[in-house]
Amino acid sequence: MFAFLRFAFRRAFRNMKGNLFLNLTTVAIIGISLLVFSSFTLLAYNLTSLLKIWEGKFEVIAYLKGDLSLDQVEGLLKKIRQLDGVETVNYLSPFDAMAYMEEKLGGQKDLLQGIRPSIFPASIEIRLKKDYWGHTKIEEVVADMKNIPQIEEVQYGQEWIDTFSVLVHLVRLTQWILGGLLLAAIIFIISHTLQLTISSRREEIEAMQMAGASPAFIQVPHYIEGLVQGVLGAAMATGLLFLLYQIILVAITPLLKGWLSGIPILFLPWETIIKILLGGMILGLFGSFLASLRFLRYSR
Amino acid sequence: MLVWTLMIQMFSVSKTYPSHITALSGFYLEIDQGEFVFITGPSGSGKSSLLRILFGAEKPSSGEVIVNGIRLTQPGFKKVYQLRRMIGIISPDFRLLKDRNVKENVAFVLEVMGVSAREIEEKVSEILRLLDLQERARDSILALSAGEQQRVSIARALVKNPSLILADEPTSVLDEEMTEKVMEIFSDFHQKGTTILMATQDTRLIQRHPYRTIPLMPGKEGGQESKDEVRPEGCSLF
Repeated sequence: MFAFLRFAFRRAFRNMKGNLFLNLTTVAIIGISLLVFSSFTLLAYNLTSLLKIWEGKFEVIAYLKGDLSLDQVEGLLKKIRQLDGVETVNYLSPFDAMAYMEEKLGGQKDLLQGIRPSIFPASIEIRLKKDYWGHTKIEEVVADMKNIPQIEEVQYGQEWIDTFSVLVHLVRLTQWILGGLLLAAIIFIISHTLQLTISSRREEIEAMQMAGASPAFIQVPHYIEGLVQGVLGAAMATGLLFLLYQIILVAITPLLKGWLSGIPILFLPWETIIKILLGGMILGLFGSFLASLRFLRYSR
Repeated sequence: MLVWTLMIQMFSVSKTYPSHITALSGFYLEIDQGEFVFITGPSGSGKSSLLRILFGAEKPSSGEVIVNGIRLTQPGFKKVYQLRRMIGIISPDFRLLKDRNVKENVAFVLEVMGVSAREIEEKVSEILRLLDLQERARDSILALSAGEQQRVSIARALVKNPSLILADEPTSVLDEEMTEKVMEIFSDFHQKGTTILMATQDTRLIQRHPYRTIPLMPGKEGGQESKDEVRPEGCSLF
């Protein structure tokens, strides 16, 4: 078995060397196709992680009617804590609100000079349990809060998150539709390149068949060839994607500094890179299998 | 225990090509293990088709073919390669690999059978010596004359020490001296028990080597008439 595999690999690499240009072209086409697919994967990955960050920061803010006593606030907090779906509550007095604004304004906090904290409404930041992050459930909690007479207004950013979530789904959908099309294209390319290389070695294959070489003996080197083309194409795609990612980090991130504060631009995790490499291998194998169906069978 | 003594059996075999050309029609043949048989007849009489059917390159249109106990006409028969491992095939067009030298062409047959490198070296050297090709072992196929190429194709068929040799015009481009040398080598293999079926149009060769001869005529029903009639020792039907 080991001797056979050694022979098959030797033959596969000799074949590839013999048709170097054709093989390099195939690897390049696979690489570019997988680059398009993995770019969408990277985009979807970053948008999903951004969505998670925003969802993690998601809060419902209840603005309170003016001049509530501390006892009333205590009672209110207790009441809100008892509502279904509420995880934590955090009271922000008008002083806290003013301090928050000063922090946000940084060097321009002088703008707040002369303004009394009482103009800021007291509020309660409410974090909901993860199960309640869905749109309908949040609506239920918010409706319960709105029934509390001491609450003036309830605000939450769910609509924005919903819209963003739809965008992420659209990117994912595009990724898979495009992925499907590219997948078919890659199989077609590998299969046809191998058909070309097989027909250029037709004499040798016929001589092998005449000598009684087993089908595995004839086919396995071609499967290895497809597999190597697939994995090299995938590696090229990942390498180019990393290069693009670095360019984006160096050239574009500084321009979006204000927008992207605290939001990291991530590269694909190792598991996804391994999946892309494995995917390339499987595509290559399948393409070569299709080519072998047409040309490497013992025909009578 | 049943001992199989027949190497080749063909019953009522016909072969018609899509172009409606009939190569064989109702053909019968029985060849014993270790027998040497000539197949002769003019061009288009079906000699090559007969050999191609016997090594599984073509399917007969009808009839039964059994080679060394393997029924080639069995529906779904897939193990052609197992059959070919025991057959040494000599093609009239040589079918040599032009990007390899003489030695590599001969060694190739053993490589695909998984023979060890040491054994390949020994066997290839021996067969090249037998066919006077040892001096040309490292030469490219393209540098050889047609006669030398034919000898390489013979060497390639014999190097695996086959049980059956199917030779289609194996001496067509050889001079008389080399033809006799090749016939001597075939005789040696025959003496050791190899079955040989050789298609040739060379009547003088057949006269010099009085083995059983089966004549083929284009499109006619044929094969041997009856086993006893066609097999008197040293006598030819031709």
